[in-house]
Amino acid sequence: MARAAPSLQARLLVALALLLLAAAAIAAWSLESWYRDLGLRAREDVLEAQVIALISSADIGPDGRLLPQNLVEPRLATPGSGLYAEILGARGSWRSPSAVGSGLNLAAQPAAGERRFEHARLADGTRVLGLSLGIRWELADGGTRDFVVRAAASLEPWYREIARVRAWLATGSILLALFLLGGLAFALRFALRPLRRLESEIVDIEAGRREGLGPEWPRELAGVTGNLNALLTGERKRLERYRATLGNLAHSLKTPLAAMRSLLERGQAEPAALAPQLDRMQDIVQHQLKRAVFGGTGATLIDLPVQEPLEQLRGALAKVYADKPVRVALAIAPGTAYPIDPGDFLELAGNLMDNAWKYCRGEIVVRVTPWTSAEWRRPGLAVDVEDDGHGIPPVERQRVLERGVRADESVAGQGIGLSVAREIASAYSGTLEIGDGRLGGARVTLRLPGR
Amino acid sequence: MRLLVLEDEPALRESLVQQFHGAGFTIDQAADGVEGEFAGLEYPVDVAVVDLGLPRRSGLDAIRAWRKAGKSFPVLILTARDSWQEKVSGLDAGADDYVTKPFRFEEVLARVQALLRRSGGWSQPLLRSGGVELDTRSQQVRVDGAPVELTAFEYRLLEYLMLRAGQVISKSELTEKLYEQDFERDSNTIEVFIGRLRRKLDPDGKRQPIETLRGRGYRVARE
Repeated sequence: MARAAPSLQARLLVALALLLLAAAAIAAWSLESWYRDLGLRAREDVLEAQVIALISSADIGPDGRLLPQNLVEPRLATPGSGLYAEILGARGSWRSPSAVGSGLNLAAQPAAGERRFEHARLADGTRVLGLSLGIRWELADGGTRDFVVRAAASLEPWYREIARVRAWLATGSILLALFLLGGLAFALRFALRPLRRLESEIVDIEAGRREGLGPEWPRELAGVTGNLNALLTGERKRLERYRATLGNLAHSLKTPLAAMRSLLERGQAEPAALAPQLDRMQDIVQHQLKRAVFGGTGATLIDLPVQEPLEQLRGALAKVYADKPVRVALAIAPGTAYPIDPGDFLELAGNLMDNAWKYCRGEIVVRVTPWTSAEWRRPGLAVDVEDDGHGIPPVERQRVLERGVRADESVAGQGIGLSVAREIASAYSGTLEIGDGRLGGARVTLRLPGR
Repeated sequence: MRLLVLEDEPALRESLVQQFHGAGFTIDQAADGVEGEFAGLEYPVDVAVVDLGLPRRSGLDAIRAWRKAGKSFPVLILTARDSWQEKVSGLDAGADDYVTKPFRFEEVLARVQALLRRSGGWSQPLLRSGGVELDTRSQQVRVDGAPVELTAFEYRLLEYLMLRAGQVISKSELTEKLYEQDFERDSNTIEVFIGRLRRKLDPDGKRQPIETLRGRGYRVARE
């Protein structure tokens, strides 16, 4: 046995799980980088403020160095506080007490008016963010001197915070993904339940526990289940018809066979005596075949536009009845179509029109209209065939429709057209009725239901 | 009358050929669609009987080919399937009538005769011209109501002329249509038969039922 393809539910779940994980990962990553960006920018702002504060409190000392006159920021005075500053000049530099022994070594040497941020490490490995600002100091004597003012802050506390946020984001997004997946699995089970019901009902049909699919399917499945039911009904009817045909054929052949056998046994088997029995057998076979030719079912059929076959039939019948010219009016609502096997439709309409041609005096009207009902999404078909013959008296009508159905009935000659048409119609769950037409003759009405 | 039989089943073809022959037809026959199509295109056929299921090329295709080539002789189809679909497709392809298998020969013959009669423009099986009456069903000829005894060939000759009443029929057409393909043709024989027909139909020379058009052929008047 071939390995079964993964179930729809499994496919959907796997695909959705992958999608969700990817979405969660992307969301977490972008949140994190946004947070990191924001944090860095804030730290840069703090450094800038420190540098500005330093400059504003600074003045040239007697030795030519630029020195802060008082340290407003206590952290600069505390060694290892995490905030460091230095001022470099041509005549010497100044370093904040906090930086003593820290191994701070920022590399940037910006020109006056420039500023540069850089990442660096202290002697103990602490990661810092540094800002170097180049300034030009105006001296009292009108000259100028260039300095570089630097501030640096440890990033370690911030990195620890980022790590915490990262862990929190990862846990959160995984939890969210799991929750969504669980919800989806439940939703899928709920949504696919009709499919499982369909599967189990089909199993039941195969096992002979039920005849067709039950009612009340979701809209998306109603088409399929409706067609399946039509197919099943069609197949069942066809099977019944074949059984009946076979039975009728076998039974009706018995009589002429018996007659021939008795002729043979009596030694009277000359051709002249056998011929009538042969004729009878031939008639029987032809008759039963006629009843068995049609075979469409309503499920797998596509819409057949009815105009063309009706025109073909009119042309064909005009040839067959060349000695009997008849005016045939085809009144067909434009675009009328119905899902029926083309052969079955020709057989149906052919029998009706042939019948009308046979019994009319010179005029036939074929009227085709869609048959609509609120219950159907697609319309049915109504075909009226009227002629100007003598009509069929009400008492005869039922008999005409059932002619040749029973096996023991005489099958010689014709007249089974309408009964064959009725059988085809009923294979499509349709009906055939005989009434009075407006032309004075019979009106045969065929109705095939919509779906 | 020259009839083309297209049937692949040998027993059936033979029986059709024999019985049509017996009914006074000149026969061409073919067992497959290709040969049959050729025969219909090349021989002076008056009517064809065509089985639809033929080897090599279907009967429908042969009929379509004839019609496309402008051949208008009537065609009777033999079909095993008694469904309107089959009949309609045959008639739509250009056939004129159908008979369902199995059939009785009388049925086929009657249909063929009706087709010939209609293709000659007669709507009744009784052909009349100048007091001469020919019944295509019983193959009887009467003049002013009195039966006239004709030989098989004389009957075929008269039937051919009367079916085409009003048309001028040349001697060569008559030899083609009334003699078998391999029969020695001599148009003088036709003159002899026409003479005998005239004596039988018109012993005292008053009616002149068959007109001679010198150098062109013969004509029976259309009423």
